[in-house]
Amino acid sequence: MIDLLVIGAGLSGLMAAYHAAKASLSVRVIAKGLGALHWDAGTIDVLAYPPDSAGVVNRPLDQLAALPPTHPYRLLDEADIHAALERFAALTAELGLPYRPAAGADDFVVSENILLPSPLGAARPVFLAPASQHAGDLGRPEPMLIVGFEGLRDFYPALIAENLGKLGYAARAAFLPFALLSERRDANTVHLAHALDDPARRRNLAVELKRLAGPGERVGLPAIVGLDEHPAALADLEQQVGAPIFEIPTLPPSVPGIRLYQALRRHLLQLGVRVEAGMEAVGFSSDGGGNIQWVETATSARPLKHRARAYLLATGGILGGGFDSDHTGRVWEVVFDLPLTVPQQRSQWFRPLFLHPDGQPVNRGGVRVNRRFQPVHPSGEPVYANLWAAGGVLAGSDPIRERSLTGIDVVTGMAAAKQIVSSQAIT
Amino acid sequence: MFTESWLSVGPTLDECIKCNICTSYCPVAAVTDLFPGPKYAGPQAQRFRENGQPHSPDHSVDYCSGCRVCNEVCPSGVKIAELNARARAQIAADQGIPLRNRVLGRNELLGKVGSIAPSLANFSLHNPVSRVVAEKVMGIAREAPLPRWSTDGTFVDWWNSREDQRLQSDKKVVYFHGCATMYYEPFIGRAAVAVFEHNGYEVIVPPQNCCGLPMLSNGEFKAAEKLYDNNLRKLGPYAGDGFDIVGTSTSCTLTLKEEAPELLDRHGEDALALKMAVWDIFEWLRELHEAGELRTDFERIDMVLPYHAPCQYRAHRVGKPAMEILSLIPGIDLRESEARCCGIAGTYGYKVEKYQISMEVGEELFSFVREQGDEVEITACDSETCRWQLEHGTDLPSRHPIEILAAAYGLYDLESRTLIAR
Ligand code: SF4
Ligand code: SF4
Repeated sequence: MIDLLVIGAGLSGLMAAYHAAKASLSVRVIAKGLGALHWDAGTIDVLAYPPDSAGVVNRPLDQLAALPPTHPYRLLDEADIHAALERFAALTAELGLPYRPAAGADDFVVSENILLPSPLGAARPVFLAPASQHAGDLGRPEPMLIVGFEGLRDFYPALIAENLGKLGYAARAAFLPFALLSERRDANTVHLAHALDDPARRRNLAVELKRLAGPGERVGLPAIVGLDEHPAALADLEQQVGAPIFEIPTLPPSVPGIRLYQALRRHLLQLGVRVEAGMEAVGFSSDGGGNIQWVETATSARPLKHRARAYLLATGGILGGGFDSDHTGRVWEVVFDLPLTVPQQRSQWFRPLFLHPDGQPVNRGGVRVNRRFQPVHPSGEPVYANLWAAGGVLAGSDPIRERSLTGIDVVTGMAAAKQIVSSQAIT
Repeated sequence: MFTESWLSVGPTLDECIKCNICTSYCPVAAVTDLFPGPKYAGPQAQRFRENGQPHSPDHSVDYCSGCRVCNEVCPSGVKIAELNARARAQIAADQGIPLRNRVLGRNELLGKVGSIAPSLANFSLHNPVSRVVAEKVMGIAREAPLPRWSTDGTFVDWWNSREDQRLQSDKKVVYFHGCATMYYEPFIGRAAVAVFEHNGYEVIVPPQNCCGLPMLSNGEFKAAEKLYDNNLRKLGPYAGDGFDIVGTSTSCTLTLKEEAPELLDRHGEDALALKMAVWDIFEWLRELHEAGELRTDFERIDMVLPYHAPCQYRAHRVGKPAMEILSLIPGIDLRESEARCCGIAGTYGYKVEKYQISMEVGEELFSFVREQGDEVEITACDSETCRWQLEHGTDLPSRHPIEILAAAYGLYDLESRTLIAR
């Protein structure tokens, strides 16, 4: 029997697995498929638009106390939130994929959101960004040259430059031939990133970029600058072009998120933690004492039982697949059928406007937990003595609207793991 | 088309959220323009294959190797590989099946015919001239790693020859050997029997047929049906009586459990009983170990052992039990391959138009093996065609994990692949 079974291979599950493995627990991560991070811009968004805010908040860590009391961040002391973010930043540095807050800020408490260009040319507030995105900070004065590749879908430099221009940022666009990156007729961002792991291809690209870039310009590229060799690829390109280079995350599959996933997964493997995809939880059993005994996953025949001392639910929200619903409007949590705060009337899920400034009520719903991150009944009693939850599955926030999705993942993943490590289930 | 089993596969395409994660992990789409990737060939093209529309927007789905990496990574549970297999069957029904695919699909027949005079058959097939002819006439790639017929008899020849030495016990297990063990690699079956008996199990080897996978992957569903139904008749009674049916060929066990019933619409009680009775051998051994019943009287084997869990194995979704069991053996420095696929994917890499693709796909695995250094003398993998491909791509001998386990019990010589008399 292992100590901890994590269900879900998104950021919250992986961070929890990391924390628990570091505390010498035996851990396994199972997931239905790969998700979440593969769609993600690869940035840590702590908080940009708290409820009722008029615009982007500068210092998200100053705003936590003003969040509603049911918000996941409010379950924690602020010092723990800072510590979790700092630990994440230190871990990414150790993994060779360093994440930093805004330039110059080394004290997290006072560091500010930075604005980075989105693939549509909007300004995207971000708290921690990987090194490859920092030169895109819209607070910097240098004009931007946005370079795309003919035939690469979902990345249109002219659109990005035009929209940035409308926001008052100096940007122009250029196209390079697809053949510069790949002999393929068609390839997606992951294939192209892999192609740029090859130094020879980077040299070809650098020559063209150097020719295009005007004096004092910084160069924005779709996020394809290397996959396994990303740090070297970025350094190479900057050095050969002689201008700051920044990546703009693309529509899925999103390479910066995939790099983070791969780096974490590899590190976990070194810590003895396997991440197993293709394992869909289809059942579980609990004993009379309110403990989960095992979780079953679907196989080619009989279900496979996973027995652990503790279980962490990190399956995500509506987006990640942690909840499902049917045409009657019934919503349920897919593994343990935990009580949900999602409105059970479908008509109450959405506001009349898709992009309503207050977000959508359905996104706010989820699994309610106590301060130890244990799912609870409406009465406040834990549902199971050895079950915890973290990440998008938690109730109380609208992570899309707030831009808090990955911040909540990192912070609650670590926090839940900490609770598990010191819980009776383990000790 | 809208059969019962279609309902378990077809509607999953509506779950597709177009995230392209599958395309990013598909080993074939990574190396060739001829295949646009799982999302396009699967859930997307499927829209054009339904409701009386022309059968397939194009035939690129033929380049899907069936490795199922896409199913493993899809966050939405889309059964992409199964959609593709059905699309191939539709193309086969429209256009007929090329001779080459008929030949490759008839693994059992080939095995039988070659076994009549194996040395002659090996010579006839494996000389350079015949390989060129096979390529020109049938499109079987001349370099592809075709197996050799066993020259010391089939597995069942051996099994029958030791009737009086078989262990008798209250604990019994049914062994499914599959065609490869029967005709090409009987030593795998001998190693398996040695391990079963060492753990106190009496082995039953009932008459059995090819599982039908080669035909399923070449779109010959009708012929596969016959084989599956034969197996159902021959093995069904054992399943009904509660015996475990354990196989050493991971693609055969996968076919009996899931692929055949799903693709061929076999959902009766007997099919379900068979599905639930079938185990891959390491899946079964892990169960034994977890019950505290696996013998661990291992001899030390000092070696660096790169292990590749084949894509067919991962499609069982049972983790990597061979890793778990082999890691109990003292001295073995197991190195786990994370390569997606060796490239061969059953008979895929034998086809002349796909040989190059299969070698490029396999490069991920071959280079992993090379990176483990010069001390590596053998590799391990649970699937026969993958082992042949691994040997072809690395020039190192490859062994089934059951051979390694039998060797650790002191029952088997890894080099000569023979049992050690005790
Ligand atoms: S991974 Fe699944 S959901 Fe995503 S595009 Fe492929 S089939 Fe669709
Ligand atoms: S089965 Fe393998 S080759 Fe076929 S689409 Fe899926 S990942 Fe690609």
